[in-house]
Amino acid sequence: MVELGSGLVALASALAIGISAVAAAWAEKEIGVAAVGAMAEKEELFGKGLILTVIPETIVIFGLIMSIIILVLTK
Amino acid sequence: MLRPYDMSNVIITGPKNIQAPVVRELHDMKILHIVDHSKSELADIGVPMEDASRLSDALVKVRSLMSSLGVKRNGEGFILKKGIAEIESTVKKLNEQLSLYLEDSKKTESLLSNAESVRQELELLKSVDIPLELLAPYKSLAVFAGYARGTSSLRTALSAVTQKYTLFEGAASKKSFIAMFIDIKHSQHAKYALEKSGFLQVNFAHAGNLRGTASYNLVKTEKEIKRLSSRKAEIRESISRLHDTYRGFLLASEEYLASQLEKSEAPLRFASTSSSFLIKGWIPSDELSSSIERIHKATKNKVYVHFEPPKRQDKVPVKLKNPKFAKPFEFFIDLYSMPMYREIDPTFFIFLTFPIFYGIMLGDVGYGLLSLALFWILKKKIPSGTRLLSVLMLASFVTILFGFFFGEFFGYEFIHPVISREHDMFTLMYFAVGVGVVHVNIGLIIGFFNELRWHGFVHALFGKLSWFVLEAGVALSVLSIIGIIPISIAYGAALVAVAIFMLVKGEGFKGIIELPSIFANMLSYARLMAIGLSSVVLAIIVNRSSFHFIEKGGLLILVGIIILIIGHAINIVLGLVGGFLHSMRLHYVEFFSKFFAGGAPKYYPFGAKE
Repeated sequence: MVELGSGLVALASALAIGISAVAAAWAEKEIGVAAVGAMAEKEELFGKGLILTVIPETIVIFGLIMSIIILVLTK
Repeated sequence: MLRPYDMSNVIITGPKNIQAPVVRELHDMKILHIVDHSKSELADIGVPMEDASRLSDALVKVRSLMSSLGVKRNGEGFILKKGIAEIESTVKKLNEQLSLYLEDSKKTESLLSNAESVRQELELLKSVDIPLELLAPYKSLAVFAGYARGTSSLRTALSAVTQKYTLFEGAASKKSFIAMFIDIKHSQHAKYALEKSGFLQVNFAHAGNLRGTASYNLVKTEKEIKRLSSRKAEIRESISRLHDTYRGFLLASEEYLASQLEKSEAPLRFASTSSSFLIKGWIPSDELSSSIERIHKATKNKVYVHFEPPKRQDKVPVKLKNPKFAKPFEFFIDLYSMPMYREIDPTFFIFLTFPIFYGIMLGDVGYGLLSLALFWILKKKIPSGTRLLSVLMLASFVTILFGFFFGEFFGYEFIHPVISREHDMFTLMYFAVGVGVVHVNIGLIIGFFNELRWHGFVHALFGKLSWFVLEAGVALSVLSIIGIIPISIAYGAALVAVAIFMLVKGEGFKGIIELPSIFANMLSYARLMAIGLSSVVLAIIVNRSSFHFIEKGGLLILVGIIILIIGHAINIVLGLVGGFLHSMRLHYVEFFSKFFAGGAPKYYPFGAKE
């Protein structure tokens, strides 16, 4: 059996990555829709659209780092 | 490298009567990037040459033929003998032939679809095999034909009113199909009774006019359908024969007409008066003198050519200059935006770092070898994607190198790694952020030189060097807080304050808003570790679960192998897409934002093909 404490740590770590992933996905969805709309009008905007769309990805990277830190530091 | 080709501003003027030879010569030279003249008080735009409407007319016809015949564009040698006259006569002939076929095809299609509907109706009517002419309207009888749930309740309901009716019943797929003839006086009752038994009227618009029984007509209709289908196939065959015969001709005509039309419509881009014309444009400086010589020669010195170096406010078209090995990486610049004429062209830096980032993220000897082979094959097959695939091949090669560094072969640790991605997560994360610090600072240095060139030293100092002061300040503060350097935190804080002051002076108050972004940018490089970690963990999971099956022996070995193949295939696709996109993103967002403005028009000489 896993101890309650380590279970909670695992849960905290999962929440850190999970919630930030949802947040990043949501943000990207909003931007992605607009970017595709803009691209339909003007195809040269692909580069700019891609960049704007991937900007929120950093959120999930931070989430992952936090998640790893939680796991490792409470070991 | 780092700078695009030098450009010279060129203005060509001359009398109208030599406009055509000048245009012809320029089109052949493929060297002048024409700047379109916009109509002004001083000069209107020119008018197209006489043959423009004839050419564009023929071009439209050729293109419409190409789309009706489904001609695909890929180069094929076909030589036109007589130019536009030949094209026009052949196109006319071809058009007549094709329109005959198309008309015939349309007629056959409509007959066929009609016959199909008749067949559908007849198949329904077959279940109550009565002569079809009986379904026609009567004076004294009401006719109902359609689906119903069943007939027993209907019969009881009707017999209460009258016995003067006939009911035919046949089985349709789930319900029954009925045809009922009843005295017209009782039609209201009949309708009511039918409604109760869930009656659904069917309209026999197509089969209603036929004579004889349904099964007799069905045989006839099916024969008709067969005949029409084979006729349709015949027409399609003839059209495809036309396609095969005229494909080369059409492609060659299209190319010829498009280039002729470009020449004939070129005056629309010139400034023009009643008796003279003026062409503005750009020519790479090292080809300037030979180009001018050619123009003079072609016109027997009847034009005047003026040239000068670009002025500060000019929108100079950019032709990137890079060594052959870095050339494919111009792909990323094309996708994003051309650097301004006076900016540093970042292609060479992308060439240095893109494969490295990609390699760190994928970092597996097995995946690297496999993707290298894949891209090599694709490069042979798809000539249009050569640039991108060359980039990816180099990236795959670096992936193999990093595979040895991480000691991974399809997720399996085959040699002792320098850094193990699975176990030394933190080491790799520090490494990744370290790469970020270096990369972002390279960006800032490039930015410094861009500013220096464009706005002078003071601007460059406050706008770009301030970031280095800020980094030093933050680093000093952090180190003194942790106690690694035994000095007061005040020194670090003072440096940060100086940096903020410089930033506000250099970039205004928006600089302050940007302050935290530089550190977010550096941390963003942690993705180099994160993507790699997810890829290696997936590979390990695939390996373990498949070995689990293989150990058990027997048929389960097969299951294990299937898991192994599918699992790694998915992981490779994810790894390739992730590695490519994230490496690209690190360049566009984190790197470019430090120095790149972009937005220059691409150098596109008159007469060159797309």
